[in-house]
Amino acid sequence: MTITDLTSMGESQTELKKEINERLQRLQDEISDYCYQCAKCTSGCEAHKLLELEPHKIVALLKKGLIDEMVNSDVIWTCMSCFKCRERCPQNVAPVEVLFALKNIAVASGQQIPGNYTAMLQSVLSMGLLQEVKNVLTRDNKTVSRTNLGLPEVSKPTDHTKFQMMLSKIAVEKV
Amino acid sequence: MSNKIGVFVCHCGINIASTVDVKELVEYAKKLKGVIVSKDYKYMCSDVGGNLIKDSIKKNKLDGVVIACCSPRMHEHTFRGVVEAGGVNAFNLEIANIREQCSWAHDDKTRATEKAKALVRGAVSKAILLEPLERSKIEVTQKALVIGGGIAGIQAALDLAEEGHKVYLVEKTPSIGGRMAQLDKTFPTLDCSGCILTPKMMEINNHPNIELLSYSEIKSVEGSIGNYTVKVNKKAKFVDMDKCTGCGDCVEACRMKDHVNSEFDEGIGKRSSIYIPFPQAVPLKATIDKDNCLMLKRGKCGTGALCVEACEAKAINFKQKDEEVEIKVGAILVATGYDLLDPTSLYEYGYDHSKDVITSLQMERLISTSGPTNGEIIRPSNGDKPKSITYILCVGSRDEKECTWCCRIGCMSALKHVYLLKEKLGDDIEMNVCYTDIRSFGKGYEEFYRKIRSMNTNFFRGRPSEVRNLGDHLTIDIFDTTTNKLFEINTDLVVLVPALIPRVDSDDFARKLRISQSGDGFLLEAHPKLRPMDTFTGGIFIAGCCQAPKDIQDSVAQASGAAARAANILSKKVLEAEPLISYVDEDYCSGCSTCISVCAYNAIELVKREDDKQLAKVNEALCMGCGACVASCPSGAMQQKGFKDYQLKPMIEETV
Amino acid sequence: MKKYAVYPGCVMPTEQYAYEMSIREIMPHLDIELVDLKGFSCCSEPIKSVNQMLTLALSARNIAIAEKEELDIFAPCPMCHLALSDCKRVLDTNLMMNKRVNSYLTDEGLKYTGTAEIVSILDLLHDIVGIDKIKEKVKKPLKDLKTATHYGCHLIRPSEIGRSDDAENPQKMENILKTIGAKPEYYPEKLDCCGALLTANLPESALTKTGQKLQRVQEQEFDAFIDTCPWCHRQYDSKQIKAGETVAAKLEVPVLYLTQLLGISMGIPKEKLGLNLNLSPIEKLNLGGKKT
Ligand code: SF4
Ligand code: SF4
Repeated sequence: MTITDLTSMGESQTELKKEINERLQRLQDEISDYCYQCAKCTSGCEAHKLLELEPHKIVALLKKGLIDEMVNSDVIWTCMSCFKCRERCPQNVAPVEVLFALKNIAVASGQQIPGNYTAMLQSVLSMGLLQEVKNVLTRDNKTVSRTNLGLPEVSKPTDHTKFQMMLSKIAVEKV
Repeated sequence: MSNKIGVFVCHCGINIASTVDVKELVEYAKKLKGVIVSKDYKYMCSDVGGNLIKDSIKKNKLDGVVIACCSPRMHEHTFRGVVEAGGVNAFNLEIANIREQCSWAHDDKTRATEKAKALVRGAVSKAILLEPLERSKIEVTQKALVIGGGIAGIQAALDLAEEGHKVYLVEKTPSIGGRMAQLDKTFPTLDCSGCILTPKMMEINNHPNIELLSYSEIKSVEGSIGNYTVKVNKKAKFVDMDKCTGCGDCVEACRMKDHVNSEFDEGIGKRSSIYIPFPQAVPLKATIDKDNCLMLKRGKCGTGALCVEACEAKAINFKQKDEEVEIKVGAILVATGYDLLDPTSLYEYGYDHSKDVITSLQMERLISTSGPTNGEIIRPSNGDKPKSITYILCVGSRDEKECTWCCRIGCMSALKHVYLLKEKLGDDIEMNVCYTDIRSFGKGYEEFYRKIRSMNTNFFRGRPSEVRNLGDHLTIDIFDTTTNKLFEINTDLVVLVPALIPRVDSDDFARKLRISQSGDGFLLEAHPKLRPMDTFTGGIFIAGCCQAPKDIQDSVAQASGAAARAANILSKKVLEAEPLISYVDEDYCSGCSTCISVCAYNAIELVKREDDKQLAKVNEALCMGCGACVASCPSGAMQQKGFKDYQLKPMIEETV
Repeated sequence: MKKYAVYPGCVMPTEQYAYEMSIREIMPHLDIELVDLKGFSCCSEPIKSVNQMLTLALSARNIAIAEKEELDIFAPCPMCHLALSDCKRVLDTNLMMNKRVNSYLTDEGLKYTGTAEIVSILDLLHDIVGIDKIKEKVKKPLKDLKTATHYGCHLIRPSEIGRSDDAENPQKMENILKTIGAKPEYYPEKLDCCGALLTANLPESALTKTGQKLQRVQEQEFDAFIDTCPWCHRQYDSKQIKAGETVAAKLEVPVLYLTQLLGISMGIPKEKLGLNLNLSPIEKLNLGGKKT
């Protein structure tokens, strides 16, 4: 037997739900089934007022196994990882960690990664850091570099081939 | 040695018979050494079953009985009575548990039957070796101690006193009344709390069988069921109880008047250093709080103690000392109540940042006409009348980080406040209630909730994440799951409904009484369904919120129940003690005291024999027969009657 | 002298130079020796949304580099500190994850063993160096500087992952600020997020979050806004004008790293603390000594 969401005709994805719960447990996080929908998370969500993220609803949908609906939505990319939901949840549920799982699943299933994430990933892949070493402006509008400021050379991976090999292995992995 | 044993196999309807071949078992038992008769019946625990056993005993002149049936926890007691009535010593009975340990645990009938045979075989081999035992007699001190003078303690004390027992009622604070005395009205009937409580308090005061020890604490408890010796510390009140008339002149005169936080008013109101907690206090006597009295703290109060000057009865006595009294009772009833969770542990709700964030109990004191504002509702920060009041429910309740349990009174007390506040402040007062679930489970509760729903109140189904103090008002964001909208509530007064927690000193207290606590810290009942007022320690009973959060009606019901349980003991002059206890074989005991360290009931002590040999000795009144000492004894000197090594060994060999 | 491998992360060493300069300046005065190691990479916390396995592996990799030198790690960036601490928590409690993650590190000859301790800027200043030591080193106490503290979400939440201060009532920055003579005051928005992590895909929203908080700080007339995170600082200081534009407000809030203010109170010259790199109006403050 199945349950069906008649507004989207979505069905409960029990296997995927199980996988997410296992993932949460591997990361030492509480599974979401304990949530009793008090919505304390959403009341305090830093992203809610601005971008309509409803962490309690994310958790409720996961509890029902309606996962595709979330994976296909941009709303999962509006979380700013402030961890308030997780910190204050009376049931130790962590909506923010569910969101990380959903975003990871979206990426793994070939959904387009929004914004700059691809560039950041590329940068880590090519030189080990999120971005190039920049020259910056001073208060009196001069451009200065790290060296100008007397700072030592930035620490980066030494053996690039090996580093990249490692990254390419993990790229296809999930938690 | 028994050599005429009867084996009786019960079908337990089909509980046993569907998995164990009862007929085969009966035939098998007949062939066992020592067995001279074996029978089966559908329900051995019924009257017919009992008669069958009794008749067989008489007819076959049996001297030992084995019953193969359910767990001894269920019917051992019944069956001991049956065999005794039949003429065999009650302790020449052995139960073979072929239900919980066999039929319920297995499906395969052939193998289950084999296992049942093994269990019966073992039981018979032990029954052969069992000795008749006599129950010893304990004389009962027919008096009771009730600890805690809240509504549960009051009810229990009155019930026991009415039964004709002398009752000592020990209360920690200067007056009885407890939490209920702090309340204005009670839900769902809106009875005036004081009006229904004070008559009972007066009864306590006047009852010839009740001796009230107020401002007193339990120091130690020794003894066991029927005979407890309790040391009580009567804290110095620095006021002579016989002289004090309760006029309150000293309270008015005190130099510290309005300077000390009033516990009774939950810190919202102030009192003097010498005080009478509330006008209907019992006993109506003044008490000096030594931590805040200038005279007692500094040895000097201005040019002279004003209370002494004011007291016409000359009752004040700064030299008074704590006094230790020893009382002897047969049963103890614990009704020590609860504490409230300090809401600062949910820091996000701003209890620390604004005086206008208060607890529901503080609100209760504001509502109360005898409270610090004479019933006027104000914002503590500036004394203004609030135009908007917001309740947050489940503060720390149902919370894995704080208290995992439901407080059982929060929802109803908030609904009650809505009613009372509307009544006091008019319908214009904006009332907001942030709830997760409204739990209105008691008689008349749901009907009360329905009434409140019609009272122009904003219910938000959701929980705020934080309360912010914006100086002149407080602001709360709340996502309401009924409308799926985020609301901003700007409000004057926030009322937190905090979790109910065990008394902060309950660990110590439980240790003193040698009673158990559940994981949450509340006192543990012996069985949640069938023995909810008993503890595991014979003669000690619990009632009210010390066992778990509950409302007044449940506390009163439990108190009367616990009193009845205590009266069970107190109404008897003599109790019979279970003889299945430990004893020491002096020849083997080396006096190592290992057993003393494992005994949870302090039942063993080290004594010197005439020849100076150190020996363990079991106090028969204290031993509960748990067997811990027997298992720990390195030399095998400690034995338990009915479970001696030589009785158990053949049983094990035969069974496995 | 206590020794730590300094794990710089990405944002600090590629653009938030003021943080790095002030840290490198003050630590030796506080008897902390910072050791630079070769080979570090991003901790990958900022791209955890893409693949969390990557975050675990790269965090483990960085810890392993320090472990090889038998050094504890000082991670000035709260986000790095969270990533490394979370990785440690998972790998130290789950053997299966430990094995899996370690299997990625073998090619580079690294192994996560769990021996290194990971300390944050507040752990280091408040708990390891300690208030007493800081007090000793103060030469020019700040006077009457009404400061708003901003801890940064990752430094205090989630508390299950051993954070540096209480999640709801953090006080360590306040304690340090009081020690150097400033006057930290409570404000209701203290625990709010800067929004920086939205920069990757929703930069406007990120700036709105930044602007909203600063606006409230400005309304409450704080003299200065003090932070400890290069991500937050980039929002509040480097992008303050833009943040103001998003919320239609003219923002003029001086923003400084805690380490910069500490350096000033210790009498270290401004240039060495990178004060020249703060783009917020810090000239409003009469820094560099007692008000005259
Ligand atoms: S705070 Fe926790 S329990 Fe409440 S709705 Fe959010 S996830 Fe569920
Ligand atoms: S971590 Fe994300 S979902 Fe949780 S409160 Fe912050 S922004 Fe909202």
